[in-house]
Amino acid sequence: MFWKKGKSIANDSSDTQKPVPRKISLDSLKQVLNNMDDVEIIERTTLNDQKVVLIYLRTLIDQDRLNESIIEPVIQCPHAMIYESIATPKVMKIQLLEEAQKSLLTGAVLLNDCIQEQWLVIPLPNELGRGIETSETETILYGAKDSFTEQLEPNITLIRRRLPITELKTEKYKIGSLSETTVVLMYIDGLTNPEYISIARKKISEINFDLFFDSSQVAAFMEEHHHSIFPQFQQTDRPDVCAYSLGLGKLTILVENTPFVLIAPITFFHLFQSPEDYINRWPVASFLRVIRYLSFFLSVALIPFYVALTTHHYQMIPLQILFVLAESRSKLPFTPFWEAILMLTILEIIKEASLRMPTKSSQTLGVIGGIVIGQAAVQAGFAGKVLIVLVCISTISSFLVPNYLMTKANTLIQFGFLLLSSIFGVFGIAMGAVAILAHLNGLTSLKQPYFSPVAPFYWKDWIDLFIRGPLTKMKSRPDHLHPLQKWRYKRRM
Amino acid sequence: MTTFSLFDKSSKFDGIYAFFIVNRFQMLYLFFLMPTYLLHPFMIWGIVAMAVFSQLNIWLLCKWLESNYAKKGYQGFVELFGVRMVRLLTFIGLILILIKITVITLGYLEVIHDFIFPSMNSIWIILFILLTSSYVASLGMKNTIRFVVIVFLCVFWIIFLYYPFFIPPIAALHDLYPLIPTNWTTDSWKGLLLIWSSYSGPEYLICLIPWIKPQQKMRKYLTYANALSTSEYLLLFIASLFFFGSNYLSKSKYPIIHMIRYLQSPMFERLDIILISLHMFLLVFAISIFLLCIYGATRIILKKTSTQPSRMGFAVTCIMLFLCFVIVNNWIWSIEAEQNILLNIQIWLSGITYFIVPTFLLLLTKLKRRVKA
Repeated sequence: MFWKKGKSIANDSSDTQKPVPRKISLDSLKQVLNNMDDVEIIERTTLNDQKVVLIYLRTLIDQDRLNESIIEPVIQCPHAMIYESIATPKVMKIQLLEEAQKSLLTGAVLLNDCIQEQWLVIPLPNELGRGIETSETETILYGAKDSFTEQLEPNITLIRRRLPITELKTEKYKIGSLSETTVVLMYIDGLTNPEYISIARKKISEINFDLFFDSSQVAAFMEEHHHSIFPQFQQTDRPDVCAYSLGLGKLTILVENTPFVLIAPITFFHLFQSPEDYINRWPVASFLRVIRYLSFFLSVALIPFYVALTTHHYQMIPLQILFVLAESRSKLPFTPFWEAILMLTILEIIKEASLRMPTKSSQTLGVIGGIVIGQAAVQAGFAGKVLIVLVCISTISSFLVPNYLMTKANTLIQFGFLLLSSIFGVFGIAMGAVAILAHLNGLTSLKQPYFSPVAPFYWKDWIDLFIRGPLTKMKSRPDHLHPLQKWRYKRRM
Repeated sequence: MTTFSLFDKSSKFDGIYAFFIVNRFQMLYLFFLMPTYLLHPFMIWGIVAMAVFSQLNIWLLCKWLESNYAKKGYQGFVELFGVRMVRLLTFIGLILILIKITVITLGYLEVIHDFIFPSMNSIWIILFILLTSSYVASLGMKNTIRFVVIVFLCVFWIIFLYYPFFIPPIAALHDLYPLIPTNWTTDSWKGLLLIWSSYSGPEYLICLIPWIKPQQKMRKYLTYANALSTSEYLLLFIASLFFFGSNYLSKSKYPIIHMIRYLQSPMFERLDIILISLHMFLLVFAISIFLLCIYGATRIILKKTSTQPSRMGFAVTCIMLFLCFVIVNNWIWSIEAEQNILLNIQIWLSGITYFIVPTFLLLLTKLKRRVKA
């Protein structure tokens, strides 16, 4: 049979057979590196006629430093102890072929000291990558402008600069049998609840898959509810958000080759918090946060409400609005449900297209979206004017949610509500709301309730929930995160 | 496939959850009908008197909840009654829950039918309500209990929408007279029974004790819940007296919902459709809790407490409940006379259980302790 039930990658015995460890030799290395065009094997002779062999992958090492740090000092080495002349601090002796392979692939140079008969590994990775730029996904007007990059070390530096304490711990893991991706678990020792750390450790070490190119894939393996549309890990490319979360008692997971860092445990409400919330004055920040929640509600329920009212509950609409609605819908050939489905599907196509299109074509998209689909759809009798207005409000509202993954979840909920509202009207929307809220109530992030501090009920944490209270009043860390240190200030004895 | 842990007891809830549960269980369905049966303004004292009695009952219940038997959960009951007796009592409890759940569901269904979808086949509504409830219940008792906070937040504020009925020009204080009864009829007794029955709900905490932290100032929280329900009953009754007047109250089957039909907003001419729909939260919560209780009770009756809950067993319970709703709806609830009988049975039964269960449990515990000593 092509597909066998219950057979996982890990269970395949042929994959799990470990190779017998072999000692390094030049021949075995050459055999392993066969057909690799970027392999360089060079021989040099030192001042006292000692022969050394250098092996490395040209594409992975810093070639300028190779000359300065290894070749020049080695050639001019007057004594037998070659490794003492190498001008880099991390020189290691190895014996196994497997270690040699791994080192080569991480950007190291192998040096064979023929007289001493030893193999040395000298890490010299090519620090290729872009510089630190402004975040594009979580833009803010005021506040720090730096964002993470694809390299791990600078990302850790960005966080360490914000939290210069020795309690900030980093634990490294390797995942992905092919991609050999490095994952770093970060937390503040003595603050983050050890339960979260042990859960995260266990989950990371249990990951069994071949390729990891993005933190979302890591999150997918660590999530407890794989079929949910809601993200159970917050993804951010902002170091300040990461540092703030660590300071609250959460942990972060940095993944190599992606600028997006995972934060956990999170709640549904964390996805509505923006870094700017803690920059604005508290009444302003609170107002904006309330607007965000309202927008979320509008984005998922406005169009379904329109369908419910126009299909089932005309009696709910005030007379003046009813006139407008009747006039708007008088020449339409579709039912409100199909009218809404049509417009929302087109809108989703436009949204997706706008993400994939080259920047120069975006003007065309604006014209098509704004004039053709808006104006012409009404004139052609495909959609009512009222619906077009509501679709616009609903779409703009969906962009107010700071988390992009959440915005995508909105769309699916909206379609679900649309279906229910066309069958059961407002009652259907209520039914959908019950189901969604029950689902959120059952979700967990690192085994912590996703809908806290509402359910479970932590009323003290409400100061930073629907509103953002004054910072001076937020003296304790959120209870629902169960931090080991409750207070955020030094208490007088 | 993940384990199906419906009755996972890993976390225990504070008294605040008991507050939410009791308050919402007291606002389940009967309060919709209450003004129709109370009629006279002096029944305000009836509400207050029943609240006092209810408080007494809550005190007894809390006393029992503090006992060692309560802390042991199912094992405590076995120690108290013996396995056979527990199974028999569970069977009786199962029937009582079935009657209660059927009446509240079909009652709510009738409200939907009358006010929102007069022509829709009610089986579809039953099916979807039960599907939603089954989903909530399938998340386990722990999550279902936690869901009460969301239910409370989504529903509680509706009471504040009744404020316009206290300030219209037609409302006068003499609508609340006479506050002292001039005549006392059988209907007045029935009214008192309805109030008492509406207050029932705390007794179901007995089914939830394995999930509630012992000695968590339970008495305080339950007192608050009882007080809140009393103020809600009073507010709604007084509002309906102002709006309908004592003479016309009996003419309306659902005065509380009818009143809301007169509420307007600049956006919606009728808010009742939205508010009735929102009541779904409470109904779904109650059905989910009772559904889990029914499944748990069935497991006790069938001596399956030592085995893991199964998806199949839970699904069969849901299907049986659906069939029960459909059968009762088609054969009993659709005929008014029979509907009244069923409603009266439920009122009587919940009144009796609320009166007997806490007292009986406490007396038996004391007796057992004395025998042991």
